[in-house]
Amino acid sequence: MYLKQRQEDAFSYLYDHYSGALYSIILNIVPDKELANDVLQEVFIKIWRQIESYDNSKGRLFTWMLNVARNASIDTVRSKGFQKNQQSRELTENIYDMGGSTQLNTDKIGLKKLVSKLKEDYRILIELSYFQGYTQDEISKMLQIPLGTVKTRMRSALTQLKEVIQL
Amino acid sequence: MDIRAYIQSGVIESYVLGIATDEEITEVNQLRLKYPEVQTAIDEFSHSLEHNAFHDAIMPPPSVKLNIMNTLAGEFNKSKDDRAIIVPLQDTSSQRLTQPPGYKVWQFAAAASIILLLTSAAFNIYLFNRYSDTSERYQALLSDRNTLQANNQVMQTKLHDWQAAVRMMADSNMNMFKMPGIEGKQDNMAMLFWDGRSKDVYVMANKLPAPIPGKQYQLWALVDGKPVDAGVLDMECPGVCKMKNIQRAQGFAITLENAGGSPTPTMSQMLVYTEV
Repeated sequence: MYLKQRQEDAFSYLYDHYSGALYSIILNIVPDKELANDVLQEVFIKIWRQIESYDNSKGRLFTWMLNVARNASIDTVRSKGFQKNQQSRELTENIYDMGGSTQLNTDKIGLKKLVSKLKEDYRILIELSYFQGYTQDEISKMLQIPLGTVKTRMRSALTQLKEVIQL
Repeated sequence: MDIRAYIQSGVIESYVLGIATDEEITEVNQLRLKYPEVQTAIDEFSHSLEHNAFHDAIMPPPSVKLNIMNTLAGEFNKSKDDRAIIVPLQDTSSQRLTQPPGYKVWQFAAAASIILLLTSAAFNIYLFNRYSDTSERYQALLSDRNTLQANNQVMQTKLHDWQAAVRMMADSNMNMFKMPGIEGKQDNMAMLFWDGRSKDVYVMANKLPAPIPGKQYQLWALVDGKPVDAGVLDMECPGVCKMKNIQRAQGFAITLENAGGSPTPTMSQMLVYTEV
């Protein structure tokens, strides 16, 4: 009983401390609030079940959790259900033009807010790689830019991002 | 290898963000053991990223936590190990999690009382705002009511005056004369009432234009060919204005004079005239 209580407390603390920061990044990738709630739930369950695989010599706990959240969000966006949902949403939005009430303007929060400050060439690369999870190879094909250019431009973009974050 | 240039190449950021290629990851993992600067750069960027994420944290709805707690309820029971101790949380967290259970009760009590205090403070602020709001509305209503009451009194006075005017006109001793506009000023018209017994004179200026500021209408009685002042017309008077008492006259005229009236009429400013 006692052990159970402590685990629950530990988890509760972990959640209270980190859920806001992780929710913000999830919303950056999954703009639908309802869906983002589901992803957040999935992320914390994952974190709890896989906490042994976190190795603190390799990096900060938050960095690890952030990656779990980012991967789960991208998986959700790429799943078939989501894409269908998006399509029908876009249709209705075209008709009513007002947008869904649970849809947030996620460009104005968190990391995306910072990325939006970069110049367009850089922004699009980080958008595609970090928020949408495409590889540099895929991006090179999508944008019809040579892979070498994608690589160098991506590096500059990240250097810029680092400066914006540190402000 | 120029490690400074390497650190500034953007590879550290892509490593921390999890968008580095497999080769890059292997490379960084080797270099960070060899060069402490690389590890420092990784730590610094992780820190900024975390700091930024906390700065822009958005609280999820409470239902999410409930759902998770329910889902994990069974797993908390399993006695794998005491995760509370091995979870490598930063700063104060690990300390807090390993505190003996005795702290729990008063910690909980303290937290509860702080929450109660905050709730109560918030409620007070809310009530105070409500109070200020209501009090303002009450003041506004009060002043509206006063205005209405004043208007009502004005209307009652006017009504009174009109009733008096009607009674006066209906008096059998009253003689009524129409004062038409003189030639060139036919648009003007006034009514003159002359009490046959008391010799009081009244004027109703039904069709005289409002005088320009500084001017006033004046009534004249024509007595044996000479104009006699019969009083100035107060445009504020209610419908019928009481003028001076005129014992006898052959005619009446109204002229526009300087405010306060003139001793003799300005004939060019005559508007209406009647013989009696």
